[in-house]
Amino acid sequence: MTQRHKVFVANRGEIALRIVEACDRLGVDTVLGVSEADRDTLAARRAGQTVVLGPARANQSYLSMEAVVHASVVTGCTAVHPGYGFLSERSAFAQLCADNGLIFVGPRPEHLDVLGDKLSARRVAEAAGVPVSPGGPTTSGEEALVLAERIGYPVLVKAAFGGGGRGMKLVHNAADLVAAWDLASSEAAASFGDGTVFVERFVQNAKHVEVQILADQHGHCIHLGERECSVQYRYQKVIEEAPCAALTPQARERLHGYALKIAQHIGYVSLGTVEFLYDVERGDLCFLEVNPRVQVEHPVTEAVTGVDLVREQLLVAFGEPLRLRQQDILIQGHAVELRITAQDPEHELRPSPGRLKKWRPAPLGGVRWDTHLYEGYLFPPYYDALMAKVIAHGNDRAAALQRLRMTLQRLEIEGPVTNVSLLQRLLDAPDVVSNTVTTRWLEVALHDLMGATA
Amino acid sequence: MDIDFAELASLVALLKEADFSEFRYEKGDVRIQVRRGALETESTAPVVSMIPSPKTAVHVAPAAPLPASQPAAATRVSAQTVPGASVIQAPMLGTFYAAPKPGEPAFVQVGDRVESDAVVGIVEVMKLMNSVHAGIRGTVVAVHVNNGELVEFGQALFSVQEDSA
Repeated sequence: MTQRHKVFVANRGEIALRIVEACDRLGVDTVLGVSEADRDTLAARRAGQTVVLGPARANQSYLSMEAVVHASVVTGCTAVHPGYGFLSERSAFAQLCADNGLIFVGPRPEHLDVLGDKLSARRVAEAAGVPVSPGGPTTSGEEALVLAERIGYPVLVKAAFGGGGRGMKLVHNAADLVAAWDLASSEAAASFGDGTVFVERFVQNAKHVEVQILADQHGHCIHLGERECSVQYRYQKVIEEAPCAALTPQARERLHGYALKIAQHIGYVSLGTVEFLYDVERGDLCFLEVNPRVQVEHPVTEAVTGVDLVREQLLVAFGEPLRLRQQDILIQGHAVELRITAQDPEHELRPSPGRLKKWRPAPLGGVRWDTHLYEGYLFPPYYDALMAKVIAHGNDRAAALQRLRMTLQRLEIEGPVTNVSLLQRLLDAPDVVSNTVTTRWLEVALHDLMGATA
Repeated sequence: MDIDFAELASLVALLKEADFSEFRYEKGDVRIQVRRGALETESTAPVVSMIPSPKTAVHVAPAAPLPASQPAAATRVSAQTVPGASVIQAPMLGTFYAAPKPGEPAFVQVGDRVESDAVVGIVEVMKLMNSVHAGIRGTVVAVHVNNGELVEFGQALFSVQEDSA
């Protein structure tokens, strides 16, 4: 590195710790911005310097673009790492960083814009020659009927503009479609000022697969294989793994090719993930979205490739050329990650913050812990419920799962109610062991899983 | 330029001991300007926007009594808050300005009385100037920050001996 860098870490929890660690190993100084509630966190102790951005509420601290940029400039930082969530996908924030001479550790603002919108991201995929879910925008109920007839029921009906899963409706037949369309259209018009409604095929049995990509500012772009994250509860991932054992070699090759095509089509720079749905029955892959940031589940890819993704993300942000080439990326063994959260599985995973009276993770070979927990830590109620990620790496999937069973068995944790009992049952669930889980599985299976021995 | 360097040196030596944030000296066409703390751009005179600060005053529980030397009523910046006094905290992260404009006297100094609606400083966040209100009535007994410094959310700015109710 020709220039001496100093990184402002604009996040909290385990990922803040992960970024500080990556900077430490690069010999780069760090400044951590925290909320008032996070003064006593592990990341605050490890960072070179800590500044209090604002009160506990995220919109006045972690989401305050002005406070983060001001603090970064005044503390002499050259770059800002946004982690995941919070400001990581806000193009306005990336732009504000650029305007103030700060490197935003992520893609360019215009890419955050184009990828952040469902429709424009879909257009990018189509233009790159990557299959998208059958469907499209409609401006009348009649048009929707014709489209649905062509793509087949059931279909998902949702506002074309505006994000999130809000207002999505599942429609099984033509009789219900027009009413659902009218409702979605009026909602969309009221919320987003545009009544266009998106109608797309609803895939009943899909696996969630995603490809890790990494691109520098000098035209090099590689992929680091895929992950599978089908064990989800209401779109929240619970178990993630690499590689996806359900893919045929041909499907895998197509998947990686699609991800690279999208990245290359727009000239993407930085670390990113291209998400797809894999229709198990049809054998089809279709583009879902691009996550233009580091992801929670990045360690499973690190485990099977041996590449430190956060380090690479920082280096490409600093303008370094990528030293890795596609042929350097070899997948070894299988890795599985569990998300330990402060959520009560007996009560539909409701949050359960509180003080950790006991926290003793057992050291085991082949197991990595990414966590900001320590005994006595008060797990705050203001942010997400992620407490720890435990990642096991084995020669094959069965070996990785076995390591996780042993890890959870030896974990001593007291205080907040956690999802550990659910994770233990998941590791023994026949559908998980045989890898036949699809994205809606846990929503249906949760009750039976928890009821089995309760 | 006909500056007497000996004179200037003695001036600087004098200033070293004094408490100030900005010093201007004019004699004929010689102008000397000395500042302490972060640099400010002259042209952008802070426009004070009256953003109400929700709760700037928070009682500090009288902790363990400090050793004998009670901080006297000096204008010097002190890190320690004063036992028994209330603290005016920074309502947000930003750059602290003690005066409405560079070169003007500070909003408040040790010994000054403040009413709860009094402006005691400015916190600048990305060129937006936010007034800090005292929020309490009483006498300023300590100043905890220098002009031009980065202040964090909740950082102690002033200690105020509140009027007894």
